[in-house]
Amino acid sequence: MVIYTPEHRRLMEMFEPARHQEYSDILSSLGGFMEKQILPISSKLDNGTASIKGPRRALFEQGMSQIPFPAKHGGLGLPFSVYATAVELLGAADASIALSVEIHNAVAEGVFRYGNDAQKEAYLESIITGKKLASFALTEPASGSDAGTMATTAEKKAGEFVINGSKMFITNAGEADVYFVFAKTKKGPSAFLLDAPNKGLKFGEELPKLGMRGSKTREVLLSDCCVPEQNLVGEEGKGADFAKEMLHGARIVVAALNVGISQVAYGKALTYAKHRRAFGKSISEFQLTREKIADMKSGISAGRLLYLYAAKLKELGHDYSSEASQAKVFATEMSLKVCDSAIQIHGGYGYTTDDLHRHWRDARLLTIGEGTSEVLRMLIARRELARST
Amino acid sequence: MKIAVCVKNAVDETELKIDSGGKPVLTGAVTRMSAFDKNAVEEGLRLKAAHQGEVVIFTVGPPESKKTMKEALAMGADRGVLVAGDPTAIDTMRTASMLSAAIKKSGPFDVVLCSEGSSDAYSGQVPPMLGEMMGTAFVSYARRIVVDGQTARVERSLEDSVEVVEAPLPLTASVVSEINEPRYPTLIQIMQAGKKPIEELNGDQLSPAGGYRQASTAAMSAQHSARKHIMIEGSLDEAAVKLVDALTKEGVLSK
Repeated sequence: MVIYTPEHRRLMEMFEPARHQEYSDILSSLGGFMEKQILPISSKLDNGTASIKGPRRALFEQGMSQIPFPAKHGGLGLPFSVYATAVELLGAADASIALSVEIHNAVAEGVFRYGNDAQKEAYLESIITGKKLASFALTEPASGSDAGTMATTAEKKAGEFVINGSKMFITNAGEADVYFVFAKTKKGPSAFLLDAPNKGLKFGEELPKLGMRGSKTREVLLSDCCVPEQNLVGEEGKGADFAKEMLHGARIVVAALNVGISQVAYGKALTYAKHRRAFGKSISEFQLTREKIADMKSGISAGRLLYLYAAKLKELGHDYSSEASQAKVFATEMSLKVCDSAIQIHGGYGYTTDDLHRHWRDARLLTIGEGTSEVLRMLIARRELARST
Repeated sequence: MKIAVCVKNAVDETELKIDSGGKPVLTGAVTRMSAFDKNAVEEGLRLKAAHQGEVVIFTVGPPESKKTMKEALAMGADRGVLVAGDPTAIDTMRTASMLSAAIKKSGPFDVVLCSEGSSDAYSGQVPPMLGEMMGTAFVSYARRIVVDGQTARVERSLEDSVEVVEAPLPLTASVVSEINEPRYPTLIQIMQAGKKPIEELNGDQLSPAGGYRQASTAAMSAQHSARKHIMIEGSLDEAAVKLVDALTKEGVLSK
């Protein structure tokens, strides 16, 4: 399977006309790396017979996380659309590694946008080169998209913040070296960089998940967890705004990830449809199979264009909150339909083959994670109504 | 140690389309470095790591071959020499002639490496011709190369055996894919490759036309393979007996 396709190449030509050849060389090489090093172990990551650590480290060494950050911080200074496309390719190679890397990079974006010079110096380069694995800890057992209601507190005491509470469904928890933690101070939700290990930092059992099984998800338990005062990120009390902004960018990437999942499921369905015979002919000759193929392909193309459009708006400094959410809602829901159709086309084999139904299981997370479809529809409508006045 | 590595900007066979007449669609086809050439580049880089020196990439091709050159430069080669020429319009002997003239002009080199054949045409003719034209020792199908002083000890991968030969430097060798696992350039190496020097030479001046016998490709088409389908019906027990009969008849099972 070729991950970076001629179609990607043509889109890069349209979205990045000045330097598309260079970007395509980079993405093509990265795609080739993923085809050889990630794709073949994807099924093993799902069934627990391979570890995410080695391939994730290898991706960091390739420079995957450095793509969108400026060279002075150790990045490659490439457009966000190139990074989003790279995440699509990784989503096709293995969705759970893509999830782990995408969240890791959302933290890097937070440090880049809101961190002071000392924090950037201490964390940014080591995160984007993979020397430190990062984790984003916002959601709690009783608060999700309504992050303002968080119960975790941070109390200032003698040059430190003492954090108490817990964070739920945290990707990379237990493995990460640094946690971007949100907790309420007297001034409101605030962001902190918490280094592991810390005697006040513990983790729950690994959560059994429907999909994305290659990545680790645990509860983060914070009990009198002391963080130096200088690890407060940005202004105290502004944490909710930071989280919101960081998630806008992450949503573009999540949309890309789901396009990648869809692409691989579609590819498998297409191959199967051509070879499986029924009633004396290939099932790809039946009109109802063709309808599925047409809908799958149209959905993937539309999802890809939406995330690239949102990425371009972000690059150009426009308001992209609605478009990022549109891309995420559309691509994640499209992905579920595509993966469902892939199972349907495979018939009984679709329902009984791990390597096929895992795509649906992986995709299922992302109409929930990083903003549910319901909350994002509210956001899109609110934004569009405001824009129309 | 100075090492020359020859690479080809080949049609990517994994993305090659075949038209309704069975002919490969070469117009607009995606090209990239011939897959086996990466092993030759990797071996050149390993020799450089062991003995210091320089790795120079040579290719014969149109200007877009710079893309392939950059792949090799991204892997870690120091510079490139592009010999302008159209590989679809010249034969393997002229390709070898252009390469040898360019390598001699940029040399002298201690080791000249090629892969055993290109991943598109795969004639395998250029490496031995090049060895002859370079006037060096030539060893084909190398699966291991160890250089000690002015001597190379080379393991040759033959069909049923491995042959170990010793050859004096300078040496021209073709390598097989089992010789190593080519490295993946990092993204920053890919970006920096664009800044490495590529010298352009005129192929017609290096090797004027007419000096060699010129062979041309008359036709190229995909191999047609027909599969036999045997449908077996009946109950499980009956079908099993029929299947064994059919497999025996086809010679898959022996009586």
